[in-house]
Amino acid sequence: MAFLEVEDLKVHFPIKGGIFGRTVDYVRAVDGVSLSLEKGKTYGLVGESGSGKTTTGRAIIGLNKITSGKVTFDGNDISNLKSRSEVRKDVQMIFQDPYSSLNPKKRVIDIVAEPLRNFEKLSKKEEKIRVQELLELVGLSPESILKYPHEFSGGQRQRIGIARAIALKPKLIIADEPVSALDVSVQAQVLNFMQDIQQELDLTYLFIGHDLGVIKHMCDKIGIMYKGRYVEEGTTEEIFNNPQHIYTKRLVAAIPDIDPKRRQEQTQFRQEVKTEYEQSYNDYFDDEGLAYKLQPVTDTHLVALPEKG
Amino acid sequence: MSEKLLEVKNLKTSFRIKDDYYAAVDDVSLSVNKNEVLAIVGESGCGKSALAFSIMGLHNRAKIEGNIMFKNQDIANISPAKLNKLRGNNMGMIFQDPLTALNPLMEIGDQIGEALLLHNKDLSKEKRKDKVIQLLTKVGIPRPEHVYEQFPHELSGGMRQRVVIATAIANEPELLIADEPTTALDVTIQSQILDLIKELKDDMDAGIIMITHDLGVVAEMADRVAVMYAGQIVEVSDVYTLFESPLHPYTRSLFNSVPNTAEAQSKLHVIQGIVPSLQKLPREGCRFSARIPWVEESAHEEHPELHEVSPGHFVRCTCYKHFNFPDSSKEEQQHGIS
Ligand SMILES: Nc1ncnc2c1ncn2[C@@H]1O[C@H](COP(=O)(O)OP(=O)(O)OP(=O)(O)O)[C@@H](O)[C@H]1O
Ligand SMILES: Nc1ncnc2c1ncn2[C@@H]1O[C@H](COP(=O)(O)OP(=O)(O)OP(=O)(O)O)[C@@H](O)[C@H]1O
Ligand SMILES: [Mg+2]
Ligand SMILES: [Mg+2]
Repeated sequence: MAFLEVEDLKVHFPIKGGIFGRTVDYVRAVDGVSLSLEKGKTYGLVGESGSGKTTTGRAIIGLNKITSGKVTFDGNDISNLKSRSEVRKDVQMIFQDPYSSLNPKKRVIDIVAEPLRNFEKLSKKEEKIRVQELLELVGLSPESILKYPHEFSGGQRQRIGIARAIALKPKLIIADEPVSALDVSVQAQVLNFMQDIQQELDLTYLFIGHDLGVIKHMCDKIGIMYKGRYVEEGTTEEIFNNPQHIYTKRLVAAIPDIDPKRRQEQTQFRQEVKTEYEQSYNDYFDDEGLAYKLQPVTDTHLVALPEKG
Repeated sequence: MSEKLLEVKNLKTSFRIKDDYYAAVDDVSLSVNKNEVLAIVGESGCGKSALAFSIMGLHNRAKIEGNIMFKNQDIANISPAKLNKLRGNNMGMIFQDPLTALNPLMEIGDQIGEALLLHNKDLSKEKRKDKVIQLLTKVGIPRPEHVYEQFPHELSGGMRQRVVIATAIANEPELLIADEPTTALDVTIQSQILDLIKELKDDMDAGIIMITHDLGVVAEMADRVAVMYAGQIVEVSDVYTLFESPLHPYTRSLFNSVPNTAEAQSKLHVIQGIVPSLQKLPREGCRFSARIPWVEESAHEEHPELHEVSPGHFVRCTCYKHFNFPDSSKEEQQHGIS
């Protein structure tokens, strides 16, 4: 069994309506996602905004209630809350929104030290040294410890969140767009750093992102989500060099080109893929506009297509 | 064609920390024409958002010095009421942080509707709703009628960002400041939003300030690019020249940090040292010198100025003439967890 195994995960949110506030329908935020992650590897989760990536991550770590399905971590079923408490230390999350995930009333030292206080008994002095080390690791100056989140820029705040997430040397990190708010140099620093500690601590990453350049750089395997479901899964090479699903093709075509001289060509290419997308939409999505079940292309490459025959 | 829309002259924005003021934006001058996209790139914490907030008049506690001319009117020193009106009608801003820009207790539809009212206070409730739904559709939000009645916390990160975008473009502003408008968006939605911004520019002749750290977005969108470091502009040029021959050591380092698609999983270039906090910002000499310690001191100017190296291409300090990447910078400082 893989290190992290997610089987047919569903997370549905009720939509309330009418004067009695009854549940009239559900948002099927995650609607049958399966993935498996090997220890020490990085798995990329990409897809449309609102397709359920964050919800998947939050469900794995226990912040969203699972409607159905199963999550197994390191051999333990962690689908329900009770079994989860034992692995709390081993699974950490870096949150997408560096603003709302940091308590504005707390100083940096208290934010970063919070997990340490829950799980390790350190003296005040040891704690301060550890926090300063962690801050230095993510490229923040040691004097930052006495400041409040609002005194930092967006990118700086994200690094505070990363420092907190790695404080306990977890085994699995769910990184929800960990570098989206960062400038490229700091991004490079954080990515290098994530790779370094991955080797050192044998860390496993579930890396949620939308910058396909970053995903390509970091991930061994990639899953592409669309409206709560997978449209494609494969190795990084398969996804980038041989995308099969029309949504994946469109995603790859939308990557901005770093050469301003190719603007024209890029726009044209994108237009072509868009036309193909519109013309073949019905071959790739069902009547409700949802993805079909995954079909194997190779051992590692799966594509959501209607069943043949 | 190249009619000036915004001109910022010697802008200095300082925050009070304890008993002193520290400038986060330090003597910045720039201009934006109608029908032009000026991209601003730079290290996290270099003052991009502070600059944007200053132009929009949104800093309530900072000290602002210098001139901000919007259509030949100095808006750095006008009454809050006038500014408010200008903001609702003529200037729009897409905030970097969608959550602080949105009211957590207000339905999405009402928030965008409120922006529309600023422009036209006689707009009927029905018309307003139609317009809001139209805007939500424009920014690619699925099921806009449903989202109309939702609260910010019920939306995904990218959906929130699109609500902020819808609010900013609701009144078709003449000047749009987009602070990291697409960072929370997947690339297909991103390209849709970028098209929307291009439309605003091409069809309405709007001027755009685009703050981003995605050099791909800069390459696709910008007419001109200003590179900021530690509160100052260190290089400015048209986009083609900048991408073909970046000169300032900071700009060159930036290009080197982009994940190179060819060498997956290898080490990326990192600029040495850490981003100085506002209090520790170097204020004298070349501000970037501490990050490139191998460059001799004599290469830097004592009071670095912007030099025009070719028409419209400006670089600060003379150190670019002597700059090279050392081989050792590839094997960056070893990170470890102890
Ligand atoms: N607490 C909630 N209540 C109701 N609906 C929710 C809640 N949280 C998320 N959703 C809905 O679930 C869907 C998936 O949201 P999620 O945040 O997982 O998307 P995402 O893939 O992470 O998107 P993004 O790339 O924009 O961050 C969205 O339609 C969102 O509106
Ligand atoms: N209200 C404030 N009080 C004190 N310092 C502030 C305040 N707002 C910003 N700063 C500081 O001013 C500097 C510039 O911040 P700003 O938010 O403009 O950075 P930025 O270039 O937008 O960075 P990012 O790319 O991370 O968003 C930073 O050092 C930041 O810590
Ligand atoms: Mg998300
Ligand atoms: Mg900013």
